[in-house]
Amino acid sequence: MSRAVQPGRGGPPVIEPGHTYATVTDKISSIVLARRTPLFWVLGFFASFTLTMVLLGAISYLLAKGIGIWGVNQPVGWGFAIINFVWWIGIGHAGTLISAILLLLRQEWRTSINRFAEAMTLFAVACAGLFPLLHMGRPWLAYWLLPYPNTMALWPQWRSPLVWDVFAVSTYASVSLLFWFVGMIPDLATLRDRARRKGFQIFYGMLAMGWRGSALHWYRYETAYLLLAGLATPLVISVHTVVSFDFTIGIIPGWHSTIFPPYFVAGAIYAGFAMVLLLAIPLRAVYGLQDFITMRHLENMAKILLATGLIVGYGYVIEAFMSWYSANPYEGYMIGNRMRGPYAPVYWSLMLCNIVAPQFLWFKRVRTSPPVLFGIAVVVSIGMWLERFVIVVTSLHRDFLPSSWGMYFPTIWDWATFVGTIGLFLALMFLFIRFLPMISIFEMRTLVPEAGPLAMQPIPEHSVAGEEG
Amino acid sequence: MNGETDVAAPHALERFQRPALFLGAGALAVCAIGAFFAPAQFFRSYLSAYLFWTGIALGCMAVAMLNHVTGGAWGLPIRRPLESATRTLPLMLLLFLPILFGARKIYEWADPARVAQDPVLRHKSLYLNVPFFSIRALLYFGAWLGFAYFLNRWSREQDATGGRAISRRLQLLSSAGLVAYGLTVTFASIDWAMSLEPHWFSTMYGVLFIAGQGLSAFAFIVVVLVLLSDRAPFAGYVGPRHYHDLGKLMLAFVMFWAYVSFSQYLIIWAGNLPEEIPWYLRRLQGGWGWIGLAILLFHFVLPFLMLLPASANRNPRVLGAVAGLVVFMQLVNVFWMTQPAFAGGRLRIHWMDLLAPIGVGGVWFGAFLWQLGRRPLLPLNDPEMQQAAVHGAH
Repeated sequence: MSRAVQPGRGGPPVIEPGHTYATVTDKISSIVLARRTPLFWVLGFFASFTLTMVLLGAISYLLAKGIGIWGVNQPVGWGFAIINFVWWIGIGHAGTLISAILLLLRQEWRTSINRFAEAMTLFAVACAGLFPLLHMGRPWLAYWLLPYPNTMALWPQWRSPLVWDVFAVSTYASVSLLFWFVGMIPDLATLRDRARRKGFQIFYGMLAMGWRGSALHWYRYETAYLLLAGLATPLVISVHTVVSFDFTIGIIPGWHSTIFPPYFVAGAIYAGFAMVLLLAIPLRAVYGLQDFITMRHLENMAKILLATGLIVGYGYVIEAFMSWYSANPYEGYMIGNRMRGPYAPVYWSLMLCNIVAPQFLWFKRVRTSPPVLFGIAVVVSIGMWLERFVIVVTSLHRDFLPSSWGMYFPTIWDWATFVGTIGLFLALMFLFIRFLPMISIFEMRTLVPEAGPLAMQPIPEHSVAGEEG
Repeated sequence: MNGETDVAAPHALERFQRPALFLGAGALAVCAIGAFFAPAQFFRSYLSAYLFWTGIALGCMAVAMLNHVTGGAWGLPIRRPLESATRTLPLMLLLFLPILFGARKIYEWADPARVAQDPVLRHKSLYLNVPFFSIRALLYFGAWLGFAYFLNRWSREQDATGGRAISRRLQLLSSAGLVAYGLTVTFASIDWAMSLEPHWFSTMYGVLFIAGQGLSAFAFIVVVLVLLSDRAPFAGYVGPRHYHDLGKLMLAFVMFWAYVSFSQYLIIWAGNLPEEIPWYLRRLQGGWGWIGLAILLFHFVLPFLMLLPASANRNPRVLGAVAGLVVFMQLVNVFWMTQPAFAGGRLRIHWMDLLAPIGVGGVWFGAFLWQLGRRPLLPLNDPEMQQAAVHGAH
């Protein structure tokens, strides 16, 4: 086997043998340009578009009636909206981690999954962004969150993490969009040159921004891409850290816990990699991409899933231990209420999904079996949603004063909005895989044997200016 | 095995070994005399010194295991120094005995009279009592010594035979080892340091310790590598690319440590709760704030700015200087995290606070050098070795 397909520390290859520049380009670009749209796509898009219409209906009714149609009330003022916001924004993290951190760590296996993982980030952030806006009750006044001089003498409360959130999430969304788009430019030019129909030529031509593949273009491209990766890296950490501050800055038992920032970040990556697996496993089967998204990719992602799952488990253990160790009656009650209170089934399902399920990933046979991996990814995604439910609801519904205790039940509109965003997310994903190259063509080309010694190294390695040692 | 002679440790190690041991033993002897006059102060100073040096040994084990799990050429030149540090853990078990004997002088919760008056301590006495404290310490050491033993043994086996099978075995051992390391160090940090102020609690505390251990151990190993870099076998082997990788990783450790420390501070500051905020008040008032400020500047800001440009990472002298600063500041940090518990609100530094780290450190460093000299300095038969040599030559 050539050295190109055997980089790093052995193990299965990151691209199957037998591929050349031409086959890689053909295979990926044909999904967009040449092949007939598969039935899978038509049915899938139809189903997810229908769910998007459910979202549209739910939002329209919400705007007409107000958030009274949701289950939120005193004492649980943060219901599904915040649970879903945190869930979606967490899912996005895997995309940025794969594209930025794994790039800087020179993990060449990331090449075939980074593009659609970045797309996943963007769409997940779009879904996440909807919830706080809608939860405000009057989304048309959302710009009041921004610090701007106005005659109402309004100014954001800078000590509130909710204001930090506005900046963290909007920065994250813009950097992710830029990173995704910049990374796609050389491929868009490939599609432009290969497109036969006039409409496609113009469409991809506009998006390719005049890319001609000159040495200068490549030089600037590599510099910009590496800089964006450097910018995106702290965002992976900062966004979910700020989200965790939304909870920890409050002094509610179960929220005010110092472990939250790293534990939230690990949980976000955990949920995100589960979602990448959920998307990658069907995609590689339907489009025959097993050569590019190989077993090695699935196994590596399974390992990251296991590692982050263990960190999340560490968080649960420490939380439970400290609530006893603190000798604080409210902390102690909080954890007892989670374990034995009215929401106990949710808590124990969460433990089952997030702590027990990933332990199967210790076994290589599980890590290399796509159907089992898919099943575990589903369970983990549910588990991470339940985790946010437990954090948001159990801490609020019984706090310091028993006279103000209450229960929270989601309404049909809560569910419609949540399921609707899943539809929106999937519909956007379907459009993406139909109209844009879901795997980076030019980066995959560097992995084939023809690419020679460069195949040993990921792209930016040989091109960073002024770094020759 | 014709490479054996090339990778043997330089004799210079032996030159430093004895002076380090004598210096350490001397300083400990002076402290022992001090213990005669001020026993409580001796045990308290000793605790900080012990936590710092044990942290380096344990952090080295964690870094070695991290490298086995993730792979990466960066770990090969530092693997043997890391492993030598893990072989000092039996010594640390021995050096733990003074803490066990002095527990009543160190920990409020070990004093039955105090516990009887305090409902919070009564609640915690189920966990915080001397017998259970000792059993837990034994359990932690059992786990650490077990993992260190197999880590070193299999690594030596690989030196003799080579082969990927051993690499895989080491990888599996290290994955389990990291899980065990995370849990044991967390609870050890609660037992040995957090319980100094037994009313206070923070769920981040264990992570803070782990981050500090990882950072100081990594920086310590960089110092060792830089000091040995112009001698065989490293002279012909370790290149700018190695330093660059190590520098970037050290930057990541610095940032992680700062992130964890700042998060804990921000959350407790914002909450401002009576059971949490005293920990920081004790560390920011009465002169202690200056030490806190020094930690912020020299444990984070300066190393961060120094490690940011790629050119500094490739210069072994700069890298070594920054790493040395980080190691020293972690000592200051451990001091700042533990000693305010005894200080009664005023900054005061006893002479034993200065001498104890030299004492424990001298003995530890002597043992480390002795172990370092006993095995070849490069893992020549590791399958990744060839790749790493190519990697460093750029």
